[in-house]
Amino acid sequence: MALISTLLALRKDARLLKIPPYLSALCIIVGVVWLLVLPLQEYSRNTYVSENALLPGQVHTYFTGSEHNIFRAYRHEVASLGDRTTQERNQRLGDILRSSNLKVATQKYSYATSGRNISDENVYAILQGPRADATEAIVLIAAWRNMDNEINHSGVALVLTLARYFKRWSLWSKDIIILISGDSTSGPQAWVDAYHNSHNPETIESLSIKSGALQGAIAIDYPAGPWGHRYDKLHIVYDGVNGQLANLDLFNTAVSVASGQMGIGCTLQRMWKHDDSYKERLQTMLRGMISQGVGHASGPHSSFIPYHVDAITLQTVGDGWHDEMSLGRTVESLFRSLNNLLEHLHQSFFFYLLLHANRFVSIGTYLPSAMLIAVNFSITSIALWVASGRAGKIPNPASTVPPATPGEKSTSSITTKTPMTVAKKDGMIALIPTALLQTNERALFLPLAFVLATHFLGLLPLYIFNNTHSSYLDLTFTIVALLSTLLPHLTAFSLKRFSRPTEQETILIQCFSLLLLGMFLAALATLNFSLSVLIGIATSPLTFIRSTKNKPVSGALSLLLAVLNPMVIIRGATFYFGQDIMSVLVKAAEGWHVWGLWTQVVVWLVWWPAWFAGSVVVSGGLFA
Amino acid sequence: MASEPQKALLFAAAAAVRLLLFTAFPSLPSLLAGRVEVSTPVTSFKRLQEGLFLYTRNVSPYDGGVYHQAPLLLPLFSLLPNPSYSPFATNVFYTMVDLLSAYALMQIANSGQATVTRLFTSSRKELRWSSVAIAAGFLFNPFTVATCIARSTSALTNLFILTAMAKASQGATITFVLSMAMASYLAMHPVLLFPPLLILCYDVQSTKMKASPHTFRFIATHSRRLIIALGALLYLSKLLTGSWDFLGATYGVRLLLPDLTPNVGLWWYFFTEMFDSFREFFLGVFWLHVASYMPGLTIRLRKQPLFVATTLTGIFAIFTPYPSIADAALYLSLVPVFRHLFPLMRYTFLASSSILYTSFLGPAFYHLWIYAGSGNANFFYAITLVWSLGLSVIVGDSLYAALRDELDVERPELRGKEVKRI
Repeated sequence: MALISTLLALRKDARLLKIPPYLSALCIIVGVVWLLVLPLQEYSRNTYVSENALLPGQVHTYFTGSEHNIFRAYRHEVASLGDRTTQERNQRLGDILRSSNLKVATQKYSYATSGRNISDENVYAILQGPRADATEAIVLIAAWRNMDNEINHSGVALVLTLARYFKRWSLWSKDIIILISGDSTSGPQAWVDAYHNSHNPETIESLSIKSGALQGAIAIDYPAGPWGHRYDKLHIVYDGVNGQLANLDLFNTAVSVASGQMGIGCTLQRMWKHDDSYKERLQTMLRGMISQGVGHASGPHSSFIPYHVDAITLQTVGDGWHDEMSLGRTVESLFRSLNNLLEHLHQSFFFYLLLHANRFVSIGTYLPSAMLIAVNFSITSIALWVASGRAGKIPNPASTVPPATPGEKSTSSITTKTPMTVAKKDGMIALIPTALLQTNERALFLPLAFVLATHFLGLLPLYIFNNTHSSYLDLTFTIVALLSTLLPHLTAFSLKRFSRPTEQETILIQCFSLLLLGMFLAALATLNFSLSVLIGIATSPLTFIRSTKNKPVSGALSLLLAVLNPMVIIRGATFYFGQDIMSVLVKAAEGWHVWGLWTQVVVWLVWWPAWFAGSVVVSGGLFA
Repeated sequence: MASEPQKALLFAAAAAVRLLLFTAFPSLPSLLAGRVEVSTPVTSFKRLQEGLFLYTRNVSPYDGGVYHQAPLLLPLFSLLPNPSYSPFATNVFYTMVDLLSAYALMQIANSGQATVTRLFTSSRKELRWSSVAIAAGFLFNPFTVATCIARSTSALTNLFILTAMAKASQGATITFVLSMAMASYLAMHPVLLFPPLLILCYDVQSTKMKASPHTFRFIATHSRRLIIALGALLYLSKLLTGSWDFLGATYGVRLLLPDLTPNVGLWWYFFTEMFDSFREFFLGVFWLHVASYMPGLTIRLRKQPLFVATTLTGIFAIFTPYPSIADAALYLSLVPVFRHLFPLMRYTFLASSSILYTSFLGPAFYHLWIYAGSGNANFFYAITLVWSLGLSVIVGDSLYAALRDELDVERPELRGKEVKRI
């Protein structure tokens, strides 16, 4: 109880109000430094396989010898299909799978986004496990075209060979589904949506044959042409849509099988050269975070992860001496491990940052950084709330500055102008300006309405960007960027015409805006850590800006905020990564309509409104 | 007093928002009806539909073990066209229920019983919001809107609780008792509101007639009326379903908690962890805990019965076995009636922020647990704890404010002094 009354007494302390900006800055600095120390040896851990049933690399693999001849034959078959129509191609692929005594079916799909029509056909086959009861299945995927839009010749041929090879084994205790999807993103999405009956049957065909609950999925990306290509490393892609990740056990099993059993080096996040140094670990982590933050589909496996099906893509990279058979054996061993599973992968981590193929940071270690960054907004918002309840500037009663009018005595100015309260404690008496002890009534309506309206305003660009024809997207982006740069000034100007917001209302607008930002980022950190950190860092200057009557300062702050405009940052980021803004916007719209991507919701309904409210607050100073 | 055009505009806007949400997003009602935060096993619309299906086919609605709501809801909803094909009538019905609740809330605000009762006049009585503003706070509260769109039957319970309060604060005894009986019949725990509201009714009647009615006779008459009304409702239910089995399936479920579907309350997690041998004991303790607030608050705040009833709705939103955001919506809409207490409350920002944070973190953690599979039950439970904490802070803080307000009247010399715990 004593503690509470001490705390209550403390909150009257004027010094306390000076702390929050420093505390917020400290939170941000600690949050960022926290991220930077993660790649150090002391803060990361070696990966390990948690699920005992997996037993990676404990079986002998038999995918060798004569299978190689079959593979070469299939590869030529696949190469001859390159210029055929989808119909003919899938007919032939279906025939090959049927000749291995598998049940084959096809699925047509079509999506309409940004005025484009994405339509193709998936062909898939089900291998009924001899020891299975059709309650569980694992999926082997080869997309006809990979993420770079190359024809996945060897990948498809390898999957066909493996299907024929797997059929001969009697040890499968799960069904195996062989899926050859039309492309790398929408095809698997259409298939997995239809598998779980959450598709729109008007544009996406329902699946005619199905098996049990999907336990895992492995996609192969090996675009070498009919004469083959020996590769150097396996690039393992593990991030799914909206930054959800595959269970770390699946990734570990793949690394363990490939590097431990087959001697193939593994790499991730396009880090072709990785010496396990601090710099490279950090680079891997940051690339992983950006990929997770953007939340895009990074391969055919991505669509499976939202359905709680752990999935990865194995991509061959570089020039080396590993051939298709070692990739086949890797997949065989991986499938034998998955075949051992008694229950869904659950033992290991779902939230992790990978630094190297066998080095990771778990959520407990990295989450505080995102939370600290999110908390800095909440701290400032609480401070602003307290500040909004204080009366304006209180003259210092002990000041010796002579009063403005020379005839007046300085003592009388204290007694007449500043009402004082007498406080007695422990035999001592103190005079305190009454204003310090009082809390002003807060005018909540305008700030609340303004912040809410700002957040709803974000729906407009969200709708526009997701429904504009691709040929106008570039233009739309420029127009919206210009408008969103001008809008804060226009809003501040028009509000000033009505001599609103008052000083207190300005503080409250910022208070509520930061409160909401802190809340959204904290909630987001649990769903998509990286996005929360990225937006948190991009919006961190909003904590420190204040409305001021000083015009040059307001001007400088407005300029700073104009640079921090989400649209400017997005434009800058696409430029830095050498991406074309149009293709990014088209992908984003495709993500919205096809993959169920939520990143733009966060951008338009969390990031942009926070920036907008901050800009209006600063811009108000220009028109004061 | 609110002007008529303002009132009409508010009601029209609220109805328009609801009907627009119903028609613009046809999948929204069933999405919300599936959310555990909105629909509990005892208020869910989906379960009501299941009960209706069995009822219209002359099977006992309680046979499936899914339906746990009052039997009299069945003939009422079977009059409406099947919501799966033509949901419009049901939507209009729920919109009307919300508007009627808002109307009752306006009556409560207009009665002025929050600030001036027979025995007590607050020194801050000028500080109040217009009844239109309070009704707007109820009608546009996202929790109320979500409850309405999810078509949860707690909207009906809220209507009857608010009507009972409104009628009690107007001194209309018969309608008060009838709506009290309906609320208790639908949800059982509102019966605990009867004593404070009876006091309120007594006070209002005393002021109106300038002479106190005979206290004992007043209590006896109204308790008897309540028992008769409740008995009649239960007997009607028995006639309707043909046996007394419905008692076990409705009130039995509320009392004994056989369905441990997660909700925003504190019971479900506790009882999933419980060894069976302790179950009865803790059920007793938990119920005793909920019920024990009523006598204590009624006696201590004898002079402000409406505040007791309001605080009890807050207690229900935290401590009953199957609370949902509808209960919180009811409490949070009643709190603004006591606008004069706000300057005395100390943790409004903290409490409202925690409610705000949890309303976003709750669904996020539920998603991690159920859909993404990367979290577990503890995630969601932790958030329900924070949610309950936020509500408890409001309950506790407003209680402090009410007591402080009484103290300011009793001991004017202490006004504005910092309180100390001794």
